[in-house]
Amino acid sequence: MTIRFLLNGREVACESAPDRRAVDLLREEFGLTGVKEGCGGGECGACAVLVDGSARLSCLMLAAQLAGRSVVTVEGLGTAEAPHPLQTAFAEHGAVQCGYCAPGMLMAAADLLARDPSPDREAIAGAVSGTLCRCGGYGKIVEAVERAAEAMRPGPVRKALRKKRGGA
Amino acid sequence: MSRVHAPRGLAELLALRADLPGAALMAGGTDLVPRSRARGGLPEDVILLQDVPELHGITSGKGLLRIGAAATHAALLADPRVGRGLPVLARALACLASPAIRNMGSIGGNICTASPAGDTLPPLHVLEARVELAGREGVRELSLAEFILGPGRTALGPGEVLCAVLVPRPEGFSLQHFEKVGLRGAMAIAVVSLAAMLRLDGRGRVAEARLAWGSAGPAVVRCPAAEAALLGRRPTLSALRAAARHARAAVRPIDDLRASAAYRREVAGNLLLRLADLSSR
Amino acid sequence: MPQEFSQIDRRHPRNDALPKALGLERFAADHYPEGLLWAGARRAGIPHARIRTVDVSAAAALPGVVRVLTRADVAGSNLQGIVHKDQPVLAGDKVRHCGDAVALVLAVDRETLARALSLVRLDLEPLPGVFDPAQALKKGAPLVHEGRRGGNVLVRASIRTGRGAAVLRECPVVVRGTFSTPMQAHAFIETENGTARLLPDGTLEMTVSTQAPFRDRFEIAQALGLDPMRIRVVAPYLGGGFGGKDGATVQCLLALAALHAGGRPVKMWWEREESMLAGYKRHAARLTYALGADRDGTLRALSCRIVMDSGAYAHLGGEVMALGMESAGGPYRIPHADIRGLCVYTNNPVAGAFRGFGAAQTAFAAERMMDRLAEKLGMDPLELRLRNALRRGDRNAAGVTMTASTGMAACLEALRAHPAYAAREAWKRAAPPHARRGAGVAAACIGVGYGRGLPDAATARIELTETGTFRIFNAVPDMGQGNASAFALIAAEALGQSPASFELVQPDTACCLPSGSSSAGRTTYTYGNALVRACGALRDRLLVRGAMALLADDTADLTLAPGAVRHVKSGRAVPLALLARMMILEDRTATAEFVMPVTPDATGGKGFVIGFPHLLFAYAAVLALSEVDELTGAVRVRRFVSATDGGRVLNPQGFEQQVAGALIQGMGWALSEDVLTREGRILNPDLSTYLVPTAADAPEVDCLAVDSVEETGPFGMKGIGEVNLNAALPSIGAAVQDACGARLDAAPLTPEKVLGARPRRARRTP
Repeated sequence: MTIRFLLNGREVACESAPDRRAVDLLREEFGLTGVKEGCGGGECGACAVLVDGSARLSCLMLAAQLAGRSVVTVEGLGTAEAPHPLQTAFAEHGAVQCGYCAPGMLMAAADLLARDPSPDREAIAGAVSGTLCRCGGYGKIVEAVERAAEAMRPGPVRKALRKKRGGA
Repeated sequence: MSRVHAPRGLAELLALRADLPGAALMAGGTDLVPRSRARGGLPEDVILLQDVPELHGITSGKGLLRIGAAATHAALLADPRVGRGLPVLARALACLASPAIRNMGSIGGNICTASPAGDTLPPLHVLEARVELAGREGVRELSLAEFILGPGRTALGPGEVLCAVLVPRPEGFSLQHFEKVGLRGAMAIAVVSLAAMLRLDGRGRVAEARLAWGSAGPAVVRCPAAEAALLGRRPTLSALRAAARHARAAVRPIDDLRASAAYRREVAGNLLLRLADLSSR
Repeated sequence: MPQEFSQIDRRHPRNDALPKALGLERFAADHYPEGLLWAGARRAGIPHARIRTVDVSAAAALPGVVRVLTRADVAGSNLQGIVHKDQPVLAGDKVRHCGDAVALVLAVDRETLARALSLVRLDLEPLPGVFDPAQALKKGAPLVHEGRRGGNVLVRASIRTGRGAAVLRECPVVVRGTFSTPMQAHAFIETENGTARLLPDGTLEMTVSTQAPFRDRFEIAQALGLDPMRIRVVAPYLGGGFGGKDGATVQCLLALAALHAGGRPVKMWWEREESMLAGYKRHAARLTYALGADRDGTLRALSCRIVMDSGAYAHLGGEVMALGMESAGGPYRIPHADIRGLCVYTNNPVAGAFRGFGAAQTAFAAERMMDRLAEKLGMDPLELRLRNALRRGDRNAAGVTMTASTGMAACLEALRAHPAYAAREAWKRAAPPHARRGAGVAAACIGVGYGRGLPDAATARIELTETGTFRIFNAVPDMGQGNASAFALIAAEALGQSPASFELVQPDTACCLPSGSSSAGRTTYTYGNALVRACGALRDRLLVRGAMALLADDTADLTLAPGAVRHVKSGRAVPLALLARMMILEDRTATAEFVMPVTPDATGGKGFVIGFPHLLFAYAAVLALSEVDELTGAVRVRRFVSATDGGRVLNPQGFEQQVAGALIQGMGWALSEDVLTREGRILNPDLSTYLVPTAADAPEVDCLAVDSVEETGPFGMKGIGEVNLNAALPSIGAAVQDACGARLDAAPLTPEKVLGARPRRARRTP
């Protein structure tokens, strides 16, 4: 069947078996190998993509389910020229070790920040708790999401919060 | 290769269901896809529920909440009628699998999977929720206990679809609690779980208790004896200990990879004691 | 006066971090060459059997199947293995564990591959198996490998120092214990995979998620009867390794497939379940200890018996055990010891290298013995450790004199000085209802490098590019530990350049020089040392060429400044970009070799092939603050404080990543990770049943580095990747006992075990 959808902001169409896994479609047809696979069973979170804005696992989705949706992969979150604040924060604050989980982590974090611009550390840990980082880098991942959230908030709020933290 | 059908409404869905009795219904796919993978592939026909609007919304009726069976766990959590109105369910949803799974998986899927470890099942039991099933012959309602027959087995008839979960609005249950014992902090399958609702009278005594355990038997275990043991008493440690003894006698757990039956039995009782901490706050 | 650095010991983001966060870095798994075929192995599925026939006719007849290969298609020795070559590429006469490959299928797509694999008909005659070392050691037990002199014993080794265990009888205080640790899976998120292609000129080109590309060539060549120099292995960044990608995983199968693919590229990518089934594991171990001391706590004698389950093949079983035995006495002075080890074949999954490498297992036993001794003597556990901690010049229980940096005492002192240590009793008292809190301390050490028996060598290559920047040919894979970025930092420091002016080439046997494996805490140390030397040679060369350009008499007044060679007195400079244009590639390139020094000590070790003993050790002391739920027995680690001596810290960010990562991986092994088997079959083969820690389990981690300089290391570093893992389990074990009295000598510390092991007094509380 022909599947049309919005992929990283661009309208795309491709021929695919309807039951093909979305992760395979994205990696093999569109070359979006930032979408990782680690378990094929929904247990590692590496294959997460944003579907209509919410993080979903592309290893559990069928190609047919993408029809008419808006899909964002890590490649669409930001670019080398203009990285997303989350991507910058991950790189700056040591949230990337082997980095194989990073795309899934970033998708989970992007989903969170879209709903909650000022999450606390517990909320961040909860939001990325479905993405396994076998390098054990959770502390720095949570910190990076915190920093990105700060960077994404409008200026005055950011300043006020910094002040609050400094005084605490 | 499987054929994938995407009906656009309930009527179309029921027609497909009648034509393809072997087809699998797929809401979020969070159970169907991994299970099929282990079996070597999806069934020949898969019917997607994502575009059937009748299965999605959450509506308030007289004294109850009608939750579309394909509503995702995340959608429920985000809805204040669940998030604030049904704390016992909200707590279970908040620790169900992982955020991405909650964005995909549905409450109807959790019910139809009929796993003894299904996280929403003990809360739905204590809420005395009912399920609405639609077939070409019409609509019928069953209690959860009538619907779930055992591990992986339900009373869903051929040609039928689980349309909605009907949750009576609980009145006066000031203490609502859900706890899952898992082997890690997230993405954990319940080793044993407890859903509890207590209605207290003006003097803090239990006027009504509803208790249900998950992963403690082939289906959710209710324990009238434990509930009765609390009636008329404040939920103190000693009252809860007495109820716990009944609970341990009532559960029918099994040994598996995660824990022994003996551990589950002991902890099924122990979990009640947490209510003392909550009620003293 | 402390050395002044411009780059070292400052916080730098890693070179690979942003490309990985952008999803642009291509791991081995991300390669899909045009026109590829998919290769997959049919696994035995039963743990021990004679192979009667492998009928591939139905599979081969399936449309879309290109080839189905069996043992008969392997031209070489058909044997893989790092030290002992005992593991067939494709099993021919018998299978020794469920994951043995018996047939290899090449197909046009994954669906066809899966179908064809299921159509391979195996006629296997089951044989009685051995599923734990005790069973395997019995007289008349079924043999995993027939015709070996040692039967099921892979390696039997011993270390005897001083007057051995006899001294225990003279000790006023003796404690004893038996401990067990489980099989652990690496569970890297990128499972074993690679691509391969036979080029028209006969070169076999491979891209593999591997820790040892240079060794791989020889292993593949020998197993398949090929010329190793016609094999090119490229190792991109790995999506985790931890030891599990050291040694052959997909390599030989993939190469074999490529030989029969008619020149088409082949991709093999193990699914999670296959990775669990056929991948390597941490050795399950059983350890029996007796430790003797004087009344003042001075350690005098150790007796120790270690039995490790190697599974069906050797991999690095003997070497893992050697390192475990070498650290069996912990980081302490023990003058008399008798340490014996047996590494035993069984029909279980194959054990191999895993971060912590044998020392993780012995650290659990040794540290819990120290706690027991402290308890018996009424001493503070940290003070007891400090009293016995190895200092420079001391000899460890294995008889090796510590002649290099030895910061064990400094680590313990740093821990003792940390506010969380002083506040631990107050923290415990503030436990919420139905929770008990406890604090536990553990110390650990681990040898750096391969140890004696083979040179631990690396050859660095660095080049001034035509545009005046630098290119480092990293030859040791970066599996996530950040060695590649550390190399950029080392070179930036050595050449006085900005780290941004360095480009990294990842390991490729066609252009990088043999530098050993990414393992053993030696990666950054060995290659980094070679790189410092190469940088020195390149700098000297650039100064000579610069002198020419600047018309200076000699190089005495010249300096290598960022981006230029500068004449100090006159201030004149020639940009590197200009200089580079005047130099041919050979002139712009420098290479240098480094071989790790070894200990001269001849000790009482017997039975080791390689890997014993070591000269350099990394040390760590860890405080675990844990909470035990009285109603469920669940343990949560709330905080780790770690003080590490890994030599000088090159990049604090990388240091913290490694320390916290090792502790969390060790915590998983302590609490929930356990590869469960029944008669050789894995019962928890996926990530929903094999439970690694999530973000919701991760405690706060404080990572302290003690002031330490290893004179032989690049800018004073040694290795930091492994040692903290070894301290996680014992510190958590101690914290759990402190919290609720449950003394558990068999890991993991599951809720069920904890709930059941609380003393009766504690059990009444709920």
